[in-house]
Amino acid sequence: MRQSSVIARRLAAASVGLVVAAGAAACGPKDNDAKGAGGDSTPHKGGTLTVLNSVPQEDFDPARLYTSGGGNVPSLVFRTLTTRNRENGAAGAKVVPDLATDTGRPSENATVWTYTLKEGLKYEDGSPITSADIKYGIERSFAPELSGGAPYLRDWLSGAADYQGPYKDKKGLAAIETPDDRTIVFHLNKPEGEFPYLATQTQFAPVPKAKDTGTKYEEHPVSSGPYKVVENQNDGERLVLERNTHWSEDDQRKAYPDKIDVRSGLDSSVINQRLSASQGADAAAVTTDTNLGPAELAKVTGDKELASRVGTGHFGYTNYIAFNPTVKPFDNAKVRQAVSYAIDRSSVVNAAGGSALAEPATTFLPDQKSFGYTPYDLFPAGRTGDAAKAKELLKEAGYPNGLTVTLTHSNSKDFETSPEIATAIQDALKKAGITVKLQGLEDNDYRDKIHNVKTEPGFFLAHWGADWPSGGPFLAPIFDGRQIVKDGSNFNNGLLNDSSVNTEIDAINKLTDLDAAAKRWGALDRKIGEQALTVPLFHPVYKRLYGKDVKNIVISDWTGVLDISQVAVK
Amino acid sequence: MSGFGGFVLRRGVGAVITLFAISVIIYVVFYATPGNVAQITCGPRCSPEQVHQVAQQLRLDDPLYLRYWHFLEGILVGQDYSTGTAVQHCSAPCLGLSYQSDQQVTELILAKLPVSLSLVLGAMVLWLVLGVGTGMLSAWRRGRLSERVLTGITLAGTATPVFVIGLVLMIVVCGELHLLPFPQYVAFTDDPEQWAWNLLLPWLSLALIEAATFARLTRASMLETLAEDHIRTFRAYGVGERSVIGRHALRGALAPVIALNANNFGSAVGGAVLTETLFGLPGIGQELVHAVAVVDLPVVVGMVLVIGFFVVIANAVADLMYAVADRRVVLA
Amino acid sequence: MSEALVASQAPGTDTSVPGASGAHSFWRRLRAQRAALVAAVVVALLVLVALVAPLLTALEGQDPTTYHPSLIDSARGGVPVGSFGGMSAHHWLGVEPQTGRDLFARLVYGARVSLGVALAATVVQVVIGITIGVASALGSRWVDQLLSRVTDIIVAMPLMIMSLALLAIVPSSFPRPVLVTLVIGLIAWGNIAKIVRAQTLTLKGLDYVSAARLSGWGTWRIARRELLPGLAAPVITYAALLVPINISVEAALSFLGVGVKPPTPSWGQMLTAADVWYQAAPQYLLFPAGALFVTVLALTVLGDGVRTALDPRAASRLRVGAGRRRGAGSGPGKGADA
Repeated sequence: MRQSSVIARRLAAASVGLVVAAGAAACGPKDNDAKGAGGDSTPHKGGTLTVLNSVPQEDFDPARLYTSGGGNVPSLVFRTLTTRNRENGAAGAKVVPDLATDTGRPSENATVWTYTLKEGLKYEDGSPITSADIKYGIERSFAPELSGGAPYLRDWLSGAADYQGPYKDKKGLAAIETPDDRTIVFHLNKPEGEFPYLATQTQFAPVPKAKDTGTKYEEHPVSSGPYKVVENQNDGERLVLERNTHWSEDDQRKAYPDKIDVRSGLDSSVINQRLSASQGADAAAVTTDTNLGPAELAKVTGDKELASRVGTGHFGYTNYIAFNPTVKPFDNAKVRQAVSYAIDRSSVVNAAGGSALAEPATTFLPDQKSFGYTPYDLFPAGRTGDAAKAKELLKEAGYPNGLTVTLTHSNSKDFETSPEIATAIQDALKKAGITVKLQGLEDNDYRDKIHNVKTEPGFFLAHWGADWPSGGPFLAPIFDGRQIVKDGSNFNNGLLNDSSVNTEIDAINKLTDLDAAAKRWGALDRKIGEQALTVPLFHPVYKRLYGKDVKNIVISDWTGVLDISQVAVK
Repeated sequence: MSGFGGFVLRRGVGAVITLFAISVIIYVVFYATPGNVAQITCGPRCSPEQVHQVAQQLRLDDPLYLRYWHFLEGILVGQDYSTGTAVQHCSAPCLGLSYQSDQQVTELILAKLPVSLSLVLGAMVLWLVLGVGTGMLSAWRRGRLSERVLTGITLAGTATPVFVIGLVLMIVVCGELHLLPFPQYVAFTDDPEQWAWNLLLPWLSLALIEAATFARLTRASMLETLAEDHIRTFRAYGVGERSVIGRHALRGALAPVIALNANNFGSAVGGAVLTETLFGLPGIGQELVHAVAVVDLPVVVGMVLVIGFFVVIANAVADLMYAVADRRVVLA
Repeated sequence: MSEALVASQAPGTDTSVPGASGAHSFWRRLRAQRAALVAAVVVALLVLVALVAPLLTALEGQDPTTYHPSLIDSARGGVPVGSFGGMSAHHWLGVEPQTGRDLFARLVYGARVSLGVALAATVVQVVIGITIGVASALGSRWVDQLLSRVTDIIVAMPLMIMSLALLAIVPSSFPRPVLVTLVIGLIAWGNIAKIVRAQTLTLKGLDYVSAARLSGWGTWRIARRELLPGLAAPVITYAALLVPINISVEAALSFLGVGVKPPTPSWGQMLTAADVWYQAAPQYLLFPAGALFVTVLALTVLGDGVRTALDPRAASRLRVGAGRRRGAGSGPGKGADA
């Protein structure tokens, strides 16, 4: 609701851009409440879909967007080499071809990936899309003027680490070859079986060099998708998209509405009020970034009509407590385990919005098949914590009379790393004889501190979201010892540098059979879990209202939220 | 007329000094705020090398005085900047570019200002009508039940934060009674009627907050004026009570109301943050709070200067009106 | 001379009571107003509630921080179980959604922060405002220029933005309520300084002050004996308005995430958290809003009363235009009281 959450969200977008920008969506297969509301449920073409959002689409340059699977609104304008499968539930966590004819042909050790473009692809002005345009789009994302995207291209492409983009370096990236207009070849510096997932990100959208206007490109990016931008007011506060008549050869996006009207900068409680009232144009409205909050959920669950207009989805995301084992007393594994046993997940879940909006987590990996989810509960705390076991461990660790620790959290109101969660943990650990002092930091300060190895606190709240639905981007940045960044933004909070973990990560990255890889990510997650470097708290559940006239609700496990490329309003 | 000319000149110089001081303070304060600007701008997953490149591009590694000098230079002669593919000129007075969006701050302000002004001007009319009206009534009906009720209502406005008033108003008026559609900013130039309808609730919410202050002030200064000798004289000569209150007393009581109004108007241009956010009005305040959160210094400085400008201007106008309303005052 | 004035003016300078006989008549006039008396009692009660909050919650058998997960319905977003937000003999005002913490305990503890911060910030504002305003009016032209310019700058700075920035700079170990008080107090004194300066300039021109001047009184003595009593009325009127404004500012800062930190409750924080619950758990919003309203109302009425009692001219106005004509006996100014 309100301002503060707008800030929080914007900051969230800035920091874990993957989540918000993703605007993910998906109805878990177990849910059947995501169907169109009554009447003729067959989707038809036509009409105007209104999108009510809280965060403006400030970045609308494919180079700057940090999305999971190409994003929701961006995916209406930008097509990429591959894309996410637009289906409900687990099927939606698959990667499928988009501009390319397949999801990529790897070399034997998965270091060279080759794609062929479909025939007859055109931009909104009717000019042809070529492989050189895709290469140029990727090169642009290296320009410091257009920073913001995910780090993978820089990390993976051969010789790309110091590349500064096409504006400063006219030679271009040698790691990408375009032998002809329809073929593009990527040379990687190490095996990466998950490259097809990366190719769903907007950096893989074609940008015609002649139309590139640098930092101004986002005002009117050239469309390769079903809609083109006809209006972009106030840096993405209002976007109006209309049909791109040259769009073709797309078996993923349905694009039923004739027009998409995105209005943002709205207060989240107002968005939910408008969707629940569903009057006028709001009857054909959805949101791609605003969940139902606990108070709104309390109201919606008491109203059958409203409840029938709620889409439920799961995005790969984990909220957890992070330990820094170089800070006393968390250098002692028994202390970390004691906290793991003492944690009261039910009160944490309540603070996060209750059992309908958060599911207690005992694994670091999200509880979805594509991540290789393998259930485990190494330090069983039950629903409300095992204070006796925690006390016993503390005694063994040399703290028979309990101990006092400081929990660092942010002051933003995101219900993730915010004071509400911290106080719930404070209250719960009291029972185990652990006195928790709270250190609430302003959001920027908090981020600076927790991501800097020199200032990282010993005990703090953190979260991690999926760049794509697989174990790789979920585990590697947090637990790969070679990804510890000493002089910059570090995400390996536990400063884990375990050669067996590193080796296993390398081995899994070689696999191009994604199902086989998933199994091994799951096993690795459990193995890392034994070190008790984190206490998984909960996985969020997304519940979003949509207007009365909205049909064809598709919510994949990839994004967790309703996919606006599939929605119909007629 | 020379008095007026001198007044304008003195105020002009004063305004420039004030704005200059504000910009220095903001630079220093925000220099000290935590948050690695380059990292925030680049994104959390940017490598140290990339962060360094961004810092260079935004001149974040320069010492503070150089950065401030660059800012002043922009205001005086404009500045050139690169979009990557071309070099563009941001003409004087250039307040720089947003770190986050690369937009010119002056363009950003021009886009947001109409929204803020629409909100504040409309609300001002309402708070003056509500505030001065109830203030007069309660001065007139002093001590009676009707005064107490009026006082209670206006105080309820002051006592309730705007996010509560606004949200409850919206839920009841738009969500439950369907009397109005949910507010959504429409530019005056696009459709004046829709502009007004959509701004009605924001105006009301903002006005309710401010009205009590005006009511109290009007009441107090009316009572004060009523006690003055010339009013007594009117009374003694048998001028009707209504006329005494409505014409003579009000005129004398207006001065402090004008002063307060100028002040509130000026600060509301950038201070109606919560109202703007709640009603989704893309105004100065909302943008400013966002810019503060991401330490977007050029935007913060630019917006604060605009707000300061309005406060200064409003106060000068108030002094003028003050002099017109109350001839005893000499322009200074 | 005027620097000496600034330096020698102790905080909490006796602004309201103009001497022993003045104090006597002040109380007499205050007591004469029934509404003001009622308001005074209400304010005293509120302060008392804040002071004895631990006793009150002990009486109820609750505390403001303990979670009661069994009293909320987790599947419905954590809405309190039972009617009227879970009101019962154990929880007099019900419980807070999502946590089940006792609402009565949070409300009375919240009074400590809200009243404390608002009153203390008002004192800071009044002290700075009077100091700067008087110094500016009585000082030399240069002092006046300088101080007026500083006041202009303070007035022209957006309060919220400066608060956000300052609260972010100060280390988190600094006690939050004190910090919030200081930030509000140090940023928002501009208007009161302006009012004081204008009033002082007016007073300065009055006969009795000129007379005092001519009889060789020092600036400081004039300020203390002649001006401060004359300033009391407008300052108190404005201060009575500042208190609720400061409570709202604290609420707004909480809303923006930089107010007093949890688990310490404040009314502002409660309102911030409660507004979305307006439909699902109305009492959660109504109790803190009601408490705030009563506080503001009582303070305003009391401020009016004190002002009337302080200012004999205002006392005469009691008889003006409201039908209570008991004859007009107005003193020409405050000289007589001094």
